Amino acid sequence: MTKYSIKIAGAQGFYGDSPRAAIQIAKEKGADYLVIDSLAELTLSILQKDKLTDEKLGYARDIELMASTLFPIAFKNGIKIVTNSGGLNPEVAAKKVAALLEKQGIKGIKIAVITGDNLLPQLGEMQQAGLVLENMDNCLPLSSSSFEITHANVYTGAHTIAEALDKGADLILAGRVADPCLTLGILIHHFKWKLEGNLEQHDLDKLASGIAVGHLLECGGQASGGNSYAEWPMDYSISNLGYPIAEVFEDGSAIFSKLESQGGKVSRNTIREQLIYEIHDPANYITPDVIVDFTAVKIEEIAANKVRFSSIKGKPRPDKLKLSIGLMEGYMSDQFMFFSWPYAFEKANRFIETVKEIWAKLPVKIERAEFSLIGINGIHGSAAPLPAKEVLDEMNEIGVRLVIKHNDLRTGKMAMQSIICLGLNGPPGLIGIPGWGKTDRLMLSLWPTLIPREWVKEKVEIIES
Amino acid sequence: MKKTKLIEIASARSGDKNNVCNIGLMAKSPEFYAVLKEKVTSEKVKEHFKDLIKGPVIRHEWDAIESLNFICNQALDGGASRSLRMDTLGKNFSSHLLRMEIEIEG
Repeated sequence: MTKYSIKIAGAQGFYGDSPRAAIQIAKEKGADYLVIDSLAELTLSILQKDKLTDEKLGYARDIELMASTLFPIAFKNGIKIVTNSGGLNPEVAAKKVAALLEKQGIKGIKIAVITGDNLLPQLGEMQQAGLVLENMDNCLPLSSSSFEITHANVYTGAHTIAEALDKGADLILAGRVADPCLTLGILIHHFKWKLEGNLEQHDLDKLASGIAVGHLLECGGQASGGNSYAEWPMDYSISNLGYPIAEVFEDGSAIFSKLESQGGKVSRNTIREQLIYEIHDPANYITPDVIVDFTAVKIEEIAANKVRFSSIKGKPRPDKLKLSIGLMEGYMSDQFMFFSWPYAFEKANRFIETVKEIWAKLPVKIERAEFSLIGINGIHGSAAPLPAKEVLDEMNEIGVRLVIKHNDLRTGKMAMQSIICLGLNGPPGLIGIPGWGKTDRLMLSLWPTLIPREWVKEKVEIIES
Repeated sequence: MKKTKLIEIASARSGDKNNVCNIGLMAKSPEFYAVLKEKVTSEKVKEHFKDLIKGPVIRHEWDAIESLNFICNQALDGGASRSLRMDTLGKNFSSHLLRMEIEIEG
């Protein structure tokens, strides 16, 4: 019998997030499902850097830590796990996890592998068929770019998640399934919501609600009092911040909460600030499965750390899916130096002028260089108001950040080595910290574009530990 | 009329989608939401960020949660993976917006 409601917890907000909150949820059986979103927009570029060094990488490697910490507790307590941690290599990730589970004597776990988001092999064919793969940001065709293409992954929908759960999966390792679709897939499986075919308005509203719940869970602690100006000065523990748990009902409405044993806070404010996060038009939030209209949303505090969330509307899904193409654009290198009182501001500026003079004479090409003063304009650049002269003259200390973009590996090292002499030759008291600054970081840029969904064929495979 | 900073009457959260940064500005009360709607225009936001935002700023009103959502185009130095900035993801666009001064009755 279908349970009247189902509990889904946001177990991780990004690749590298701590599994601590999720482990506690698993221990207390605080949810039926854990959703682990590892793929921020930037993450595939990070995973691609791994894969370039080793073909057997390209998945979110913290899945290995979770396989020996979080997963055994979750499986023991009957909690299922849905994640896109497979990244660019879900098959390899699944084998790795299966091997780690077997090592701990955990057998009979069904692991679903979802693939089909990798469209790199089809790019040429697509262009031959007349798709120009226009950049969503600057409207240029892909053919105008001369950079090497590193990866091309399409954001896919919830149906593979639902299918894998229908087949009895305990753990789902997907690639680029869109973040909120991980959650929607669970709800489609559990409540048998209609996803395709002739959809009525109430069907669309449910799908849209599922996306909204997924959106609120996908950044982990950001929905339960983390990174919060709305709740600043954050009068709750953030060292053991509880992650959001959504109890979702058949009509798509939900009650958000967190474990009482953990810190953090779930309030109208924390839900509101996560709802607006990385959303553009609130009347048209486009996902592979449904276009969501959040404008009539109701967010009500019904008890301490309990928030009721409802009234989400849906519109039919878009014809096209978003394809994110990675380009190898070059390299970047940076360095940090510090100056103290007296004349910190003047010394920092003189240092920057001197670096510019030295770099102008180098026999290599620096494509772009940026200089900023940490403590003055490091974060906001030209938009930061410059303090009054009296303040600048008395500054205790100022940091200098130098960053360059270059096209070959030689340039970064040469540029940074060329200024080391300023430790003795430069403005007085220069401080450089060994190990700070990094040369030759790969610069992978993203080319977002839209493609007809007919080009996408996903696959669900089940392996067993 | 007196000058006040947005941080007194609102909170904010910002994030990235490639080269686009969105800043959600959430009023601390319905009364303050009316003030935000009147005073914090997309033109004013664009000007406040000087050359950090190269493209147009679009404003969405979101009455149900007393919030404005600013979509800042060409705002992240090409996007997080290629940006040379420290705040590659635009997480502190929220902070900078909260520093904006407006005039309110009082």
